[in-house]
Amino acid sequence: MKQNLNPESEWFGTRHVKAEEKASLVRDVFDSVADSYDVMNDAMSMGIHRLWKDRLIRMIRPRGGLNYLDVAGGTGDIAFRIRKAAGPDAQIAICDINPEMLRVGRNRAANKGWLNDFEWVTGDAEKLPVPDNSVDVYTIAFGLRNVTRIDNALADAYRVLKPGGRFFCLEFSRVEDPGLRAVYDRYSELFIPRMGQLIARDRDSYQYLIESIRKFPNQRDLARRMGIVGFRGVRFSNLSFGIAAIHQGYKA
Amino acid sequence: MTQTVDPKLLEILVCPLTHALLRYDVARQELISDQAGLAYPVRDGIPIMLPDEARALEDHEVKK
Repeated sequence: MKQNLNPESEWFGTRHVKAEEKASLVRDVFDSVADSYDVMNDAMSMGIHRLWKDRLIRMIRPRGGLNYLDVAGGTGDIAFRIRKAAGPDAQIAICDINPEMLRVGRNRAANKGWLNDFEWVTGDAEKLPVPDNSVDVYTIAFGLRNVTRIDNALADAYRVLKPGGRFFCLEFSRVEDPGLRAVYDRYSELFIPRMGQLIARDRDSYQYLIESIRKFPNQRDLARRMGIVGFRGVRFSNLSFGIAAIHQGYKA
Repeated sequence: MTQTVDPKLLEILVCPLTHALLRYDVARQELISDQAGLAYPVRDGIPIMLPDEARALEDHEVKK
């Protein structure tokens, strides 16, 4: 059976693109939204993204003495929560393909008095500049859907984790219930690009964000693809009726 | 903002292509992967570990 790997690599929202183009198109989106990213998340999810992130941290149960890698987490939301929960004796590196997002994150850290508490690296989730078997906990929150080749990113996550290391992905997912899904789709089509226009003066980037959610694999598909690269104990938890989901697995 | 790379980063980063350890060239603010023949830039203290952004090393620059 031929495996169709990385099918999303040819889609930028609903536009058909070459895989090589997709990475730079995504980079452009995040260059332009970086400064207003946090405000937009609040507006788009009515602040609920904070609850989702809090839930992710509760599932991780961070503690000291471990090595954390947060991927695509440039503005620092997940990393900061991990630091608060794990305390000072945890190594936390933040890798993002977009240096603008990292700059926003680093400034936010500085404002909180966290000057040397994180390692900031520009890097690609598909080709992490991280050695094999070196990470205890890998997190990726609202980043996996922007990666050009998801299966490659899953494989690289597996590579960098230590045996016993855990993978967590928080991402928009599929609302199963048809009635709720219709309401959610309507809301996102009608409001989100307009809010993008108002808040960030960038309707197109937010249009892309909605479309990228539609193209992202559903809960079961993502779980299956995690299993294919080797993760064990793969399971997911729906958040807000499946508007988002947290997938987890570990490296045996 | 810090201009130089945090030494801790040198312990945890490798070349994304070869996974080999990197050399830090302080003067040029680059992280060198001899194996890949690439020099990754450091901007504003943040290493840019993307092969697209790296500079190809001249022959004389590569340390065997």
